Amino acid sequence: MHSFSELIVGDVLVAPFISYAVAALAVFLALRPILHLCGFDKLFSNPGLAELSLYVTILGLLTVAV
Amino acid sequence: MTTATILRPLSFAFAPLSAWAFGVRIWVAVVVGLAASFWLELEAPASAAVTVAILAVPTRGGALDKARFRLVATIIGVTAAIVIVALFSQTRDLMLAVFAGWVGLCVFAAGLLDGNHAYAAVLSGYTVALIAIQQLDAPEHVFESGMARGAAIAVGVAAIAVVNDLLAAPDSFPLLASRLAALHQRVRDYARPAHRDTDVATAAELLRDIAALRPEIASLATESASGSIRSAAARSTAVALVAAVHAARALKAVVAATDPAQDGMIVATVPSPASAWASRESLRRISEVREGLAALNAGHRPHWVWRMPLYRSRAIAAAAGLRAAAYLVLASGFFVLVGWPSAEVSLSLVALTIGLGAVSPNPQGFTVAAFIAAPIAAFLAGTLEFLILDGVTEFPLLALALAPFVIGAIVAATRPHPMVASLGRLNLIFILVILSPSNPQSYNANSFLFTVLFLCTGVGLLLAAQTIIPPESNGRRQHWIMGSVRRDFELVLSKHDRRLAPEEAMFRDATRIGQIPASGASHRDNAVLTQALAYFDRAAAIRLGRESVARLAETSLSRLAADAQEALAAEDTRRLREVDLALKNAASAGSALAEEISGEFTLAAIVIDAARHAAPPAMETVS
Repeated sequence: MHSFSELIVGDVLVAPFISYAVAALAVFLALRPILHLCGFDKLFSNPGLAELSLYVTILGLLTVAV
Repeated sequence: MTTATILRPLSFAFAPLSAWAFGVRIWVAVVVGLAASFWLELEAPASAAVTVAILAVPTRGGALDKARFRLVATIIGVTAAIVIVALFSQTRDLMLAVFAGWVGLCVFAAGLLDGNHAYAAVLSGYTVALIAIQQLDAPEHVFESGMARGAAIAVGVAAIAVVNDLLAAPDSFPLLASRLAALHQRVRDYARPAHRDTDVATAAELLRDIAALRPEIASLATESASGSIRSAAARSTAVALVAAVHAARALKAVVAATDPAQDGMIVATVPSPASAWASRESLRRISEVREGLAALNAGHRPHWVWRMPLYRSRAIAAAAGLRAAAYLVLASGFFVLVGWPSAEVSLSLVALTIGLGAVSPNPQGFTVAAFIAAPIAAFLAGTLEFLILDGVTEFPLLALALAPFVIGAIVAATRPHPMVASLGRLNLIFILVILSPSNPQSYNANSFLFTVLFLCTGVGLLLAAQTIIPPESNGRRQHWIMGSVRRDFELVLSKHDRRLAPEEAMFRDATRIGQIPASGASHRDNAVLTQALAYFDRAAAIRLGRESVARLAETSLSRLAADAQEALAAEDTRRLREVDLALKNAASAGSALAEEISGEFTLAAIVIDAARHAAPPAMETVS
């Protein structure tokens, strides 16, 4: 069973989901230059929605795998 | 014969369909933000709805960029609130004084920035009001209050980002590209015939309009995977546009100097080599703009990347910061003297209005708009809460009841009339602040009346304070800006401004001209603009001349480079022409570079002479 642990800053507990959301955002931003090189924007009629889907995918993968 | 059909945008009820679509998007985002906040049982769900209202920007990139700054500024503001409360919670008066100082500092910082950076600065200021000042009597709850607000803001940001993506909010870059293309056309028109009388106003307006796109260009980077590339292309296009305006002015100066009969009527067959050179330069700059636009549209990195440095007057920013602190001290003093209970809510609304006013072009006008919007919003929020909802607890009914108010306010905010637009935007925020949706809704008439009273009192007090201490006059601001123009020009002459490329420095000068509060309608305004443009031309000619000198210094003609350098530093156009003659002789011996640089020196000499003639030293007393 996968367990989730809180991030502790000082004495403040941060919910695991927040850590995953921030980590997914960092991974997503790091991927952006590669996406541009791949012509990601030109592959979809609504690139914004495609980027959101990619972010959700990364978030899901991180939550399951890490 | 060809005919052109102009397609009018589809409209409904006197507003374009795009405005209605924008309104629907914001309404959906408000509902999603509230639903998520209720589901997560956040303590301040209304903050999520207000966040969506504040981030109501028609384009996806604009909203995302503003959201980014809102999150960062909230973290800074919450930290400052905790520090201020920790240090001064035992001394109320000192705490209010420190709070006024913090807001003044944030308004000062906003005065040195633009766009969303400036918004973040003022948000850091009034977040302290919303957290520390509203918890003045219960300082131990500051941390929880900050966390609650931060969580609600994060939910609001996520709501608007997801809704904008799902409902395909328009991207910023096509709109920006069309604006840059329109400016490109205007610059090309300006490079063609013009009346000398309107020349100054036209040029100043062009530079102002180009510089005004700076925040929008900067926010392009967050929009998509290719956002940073498009932002670089848009930056280069804007800088090239400013350089094209200078080139057009140089061409006019050359035509006026070489053939006064043709002044204002530049023809295809230009007579002198200087005119030919100036024409070529103007065309080169125009083609740079075209290349930048092509890179922006295609999402390619431009061939050259320029920065867009911003000029801000420290004196104007400091004056605005001091005034903001003084307004808060006056309002705090009033509330301390009258001793009303719960006056801290009103004080925090004063801070909020000061902050939002500081990033608007006319702070006092913004307060007047807020003063008009507050009772309208109170009436609308009262109608919504006590006539339409009237005790209902079902969320779908709340969502449906919000629709006409949110969509109507957004449609009003997109109207071209500035007052209607301000009222629309303020009403959207005020309605949500007064209604303060919660789960369950209290429907407390007493609480509603207090909130309305605090809002109207706060805005009224601020208006009174701004009447007692009015904002800086236009004349004083012109004086400060022109003082900085002269100081910076001295630096150009003494070669102490080497940080920027000539084109980037031109853009910085254009942002300064854009901030001169002058319409060009009065004689005085016209004189100030003439003087500012003359310095713009002289500084640009010297910087471009220095670039040519650097190229010349690397050749066998380096002795002429030293002469040209000294001539430029002294603005000695006679000596510059002597160097030019020597270069022409070298050019006749077959040096293409000498011919090119000779043309550039001729142009610099003519532009410097023309600019001095346009704004003689006697004119410098104007400001």
